[in-house]
Amino acid sequence: MILGDFGTSYCKFLDLSTPDPAPTIVATKDLPRDTRVDLATGHNGKRFSARYVNELIALARGGEAMIAEDDYVLLDCGSRDIKFIKYQNNKLADMGWNAECGASMGFTIELLERYYDLDYSTLKVPEQTFSVTCGVLGMSDIFDTVISGVPVAEAVARFVKGIAINAYRFAGSPSRLYLSGGLCDNPLFVGSFPCRVTPLGRFVLLRGLETEARQRRTHTLP
Amino acid sequence: MTLELASLSTTIRRFRKIGIIGIPPLAVIRAANEHNLVIHDLDEPLVREDLEAASPFLPRVYCAILRTAVVNALHLELDAIYVDTGPGKCDCALHTATILAEALPIPVICTRNMDNTGYGTPLCQARHPLLDRMQAITAGVKSAAPYDNPPPVSMPTAGFWGVPPRDFSILTLFPETTHIFGWARCMENKTPADHDLEAQFNPLVPTVFFAQSFCAKTALARYLAKKHPHALYLDVDVHTTGSARAKVQAFLELSGVEP
Repeated sequence: MILGDFGTSYCKFLDLSTPDPAPTIVATKDLPRDTRVDLATGHNGKRFSARYVNELIALARGGEAMIAEDDYVLLDCGSRDIKFIKYQNNKLADMGWNAECGASMGFTIELLERYYDLDYSTLKVPEQTFSVTCGVLGMSDIFDTVISGVPVAEAVARFVKGIAINAYRFAGSPSRLYLSGGLCDNPLFVGSFPCRVTPLGRFVLLRGLETEARQRRTHTLP
Repeated sequence: MTLELASLSTTIRRFRKIGIIGIPPLAVIRAANEHNLVIHDLDEPLVREDLEAASPFLPRVYCAILRTAVVNALHLELDAIYVDTGPGKCDCALHTATILAEALPIPVICTRNMDNTGYGTPLCQARHPLLDRMQAITAGVKSAAPYDNPPPVSMPTAGFWGVPPRDFSILTLFPETTHIFGWARCMENKTPADHDLEAQFNPLVPTVFFAQSFCAKTALARYLAKKHPHALYLDVDVHTTGSARAKVQAFLELSGVEP
């Protein structure tokens, strides 16, 4: 059984029929159009599979599988949107999915890295930040700040910190949060949260799909 | 123009087709029924026109229900419009009435619905597809007749609190055993200004607290959602977005609500 998490920028796959299943990644722009999987999630997922699990459910199931606590907040920062799940006493307590006002934050971070030829692993978390609610609107702050004489790297770092703080507030300003998504690999982003952060990597939704797949398989067994 | 009940019958018999915004008092509906007037509920999408047609009159960032009402009012041939502007509706409707009164060549009559005789809420508590029940509730505002043969009360597994949404498609995500709360319940009870009834919810079932974007009731929806032990607050503008749909699906599934 092949599982697929079809994101805006990257698609992640897991083939459960292999002996030691390991996830693979393909850039969405390089994905063959005839790709088919058995179970899909992600905002592009419905095009590639007859069976689809919505992203919030995949995120929640992934959290249940990867976090051994009863109370937690799990925040997923994708290219296009941010979403979170909050559990209390091992039960769903709150959730959110910001696909409009929180749009394109992850995408813009990656775009800026390439455009300005930056290496996020070398940038320090800045003192100051921008008030960022959207990747596109936040770009204006960068340009204005650069014009005022602030180095590009510093301006971009403020933008990244602004995105992290916006995501943190969206998730309810917890004292600790678990982070999902490709931005887990961005030390500047992870370090910009004003709380304890535990990065879980970019395969949390895939893990959630795996849980769903095993549950469905169990349900269909005689 | 404000409503004077004494002259209501004299006034209304001059009309053949009226539009209503919000829920005018039963006296208006009763008189309209007695004179066999056609009533159009302007809060619902009735004409195939873009909502942009309302933009010369209302800001684009405004209640989608009232923008819809303006589009309907502009494109339907009506003899008069009754707009409830009392505590059962909102200031936005009052301002919309002022604008329509100037824009249209027909009387736009403001009412203040203070009806407090409950008709009951059988549809809100019945077992039946939520969309069908909400359609029946909204259709019910055009009649003053009491309810015949009410369906039995069902055991709830979920709750929907709020106003009838601009886009009813979100209602298809809920199970048949969803109970309706909020202003939609007040509508069925024919007491739209009953704020106590509007604030009621069932803490024992997972409940979606729904509000139209830019509606004053977003504050009440979010406030009550925080008080409810198992709630999802949701506001939606013109159409149900993919993320709003996914939130409802995930909330119900992760809360263990059977489809």
